[in-house]
Amino acid sequence: MNGSQTAIKIDNVGMVYRADNQEVTALTGVSLDIEKGEFISLLGPSGCGKTTLLRIVADLLAPTSGQVLIDGSSPREARLQKKYGMVFQSPVLYEWRTVQKNIELPLELMKLSKEERAERARKMLELVGLTDFAHHYPQQLSGGMQQRVGIARALALRPEILLMDEPFSALDEFTREKLHEDLLRIWGKTNKTVLFVTHNIAEAVFLSDRVCVLSPHPGRLSAVVNIDLPRPRTMELRDTPEFTALVAKVRNSFEGV
Amino acid sequence: MKALQTIRSSRKLVTLVWILGLIILWECGAFYIEAVKRTPENVLPHLWQIIASVFSTKVISNGQTATQIVLTNAGATLLRAGYGFLIGMAGGFLLAILMKLSGIVEKVAFPYLMLIQMIPILGMAPIVLAITKDIGVSRIVIAAILTFYPVCTNTLAGLKSVEQEKLDLMYLCAANRYQVYWKTLIPTCIPFFFTGLKISAPMAITASILVDTLQGDGGLGCMLSQSLKHAMSIYVFWQIVFLSAFVGVASSWLMGLLERRFSPQKRLAARKGA
Repeated sequence: MNGSQTAIKIDNVGMVYRADNQEVTALTGVSLDIEKGEFISLLGPSGCGKTTLLRIVADLLAPTSGQVLIDGSSPREARLQKKYGMVFQSPVLYEWRTVQKNIELPLELMKLSKEERAERARKMLELVGLTDFAHHYPQQLSGGMQQRVGIARALALRPEILLMDEPFSALDEFTREKLHEDLLRIWGKTNKTVLFVTHNIAEAVFLSDRVCVLSPHPGRLSAVVNIDLPRPRTMELRDTPEFTALVAKVRNSFEGV
Repeated sequence: MKALQTIRSSRKLVTLVWILGLIILWECGAFYIEAVKRTPENVLPHLWQIIASVFSTKVISNGQTATQIVLTNAGATLLRAGYGFLIGMAGGFLLAILMKLSGIVEKVAFPYLMLIQMIPILGMAPIVLAITKDIGVSRIVIAAILTFYPVCTNTLAGLKSVEQEKLDLMYLCAANRYQVYWKTLIPTCIPFFFTGLKISAPMAITASILVDTLQGDGGLGCMLSQSLKHAMSIYVFWQIVFLSAFVGVASSWLMGLLERRFSPQKRLAARKGA
């Protein structure tokens, strides 16, 4: 693999928490190279350290061993250079700001001009299909629409990488399936590298190029499953035997759950 | 839309029924007292007698009518209560920000805050008066101290209520501390700040009136006690009771009005209702 092709290099990362004089190993020896433009899922049950790993990549946590390189630089440098955007489990929208102003928030922090902010917000709204809702407030939107605003806000920074922490887990099944298609469409248009945390096997298989299976006690990478399903993927794919076989393969790769 | 209007008008109706009920209750009491007491106006006069005293031109003391006495002294007391309220408001807000900025400030300041809150105002007032030697300054200081605590603790609670994810988002966007406060923490704490103001506005007024009673040179509380001791018409007392009740309620209402104007969350609610 060519070095310049690697978007995120996770190198022997371990994380040990100390609580009540006891050491809890959240992650041990995780190594993973993520290529540019790849859609990678971190899949596992609660307590497997998948969110911890994402937070290490996002510079929200420092690993106790090993290192992460994002495009050759440390997570901190990558954060300051706005190399990645993050979508949280809840939409994390500002109730007193309109949809457009929410998307503009990170751009305000970067001190971009008013015109530039509005222009970028307009493009992002178009991308996530919320142009008509620019001047609505978050409370006026459905859960799925709110999460699309969250995606638009993360993309407004024009990052190369999108980090997503169980973004659809609070949504109902119908909305979630719709957003899967939307996310793949957006990903196809923008060529971002996506690191997607989930505990939903079908979701991971449907979206990803590769599914990284994490097992708990201690949190470790127990398998990487290639998902060689054709793209573009649509809802009907879920009913094919190939899809079902891959879901079974991923399920069987868990250890000690 | 029609249902909403019905609820709105019925709320007015409820208020009206409440006020009418209170008036009837008061008047029943007044008629009873009139029948059994020799000086009923000292216990419970009729409402019309109080209203009549407001418009009475009879000079009571120092060449002033009852209403003139009440209004001049109200000016002295309420103005000081207002100054104290503003000082306490600014101080409480600033300390809350400082406590949020620095854990050390919070650890050091919080016990003192609790202490100030636990000392009864009647005990504190003579000490403040002895130190300042000026009743006007004492009114301001006591009103400020009373305002300070609810504003400070509520604002601090607001600053602490910000979801961790919003702070994570700020961190990921490499926001500086000023931006974190200005864009996230302060807008979130504004409704809490106003809750503090709504609690403390009537308290500041009550405190100023209480401070007045400590000395004989003017102020609502001073007139109140003189009137009760029959040094002047008892109707001065009744007028002050109604005036201070009205001003107390009005001060809280005014804070609600300001909140609708300045709180980002409330402005939003108002716009949605429109």
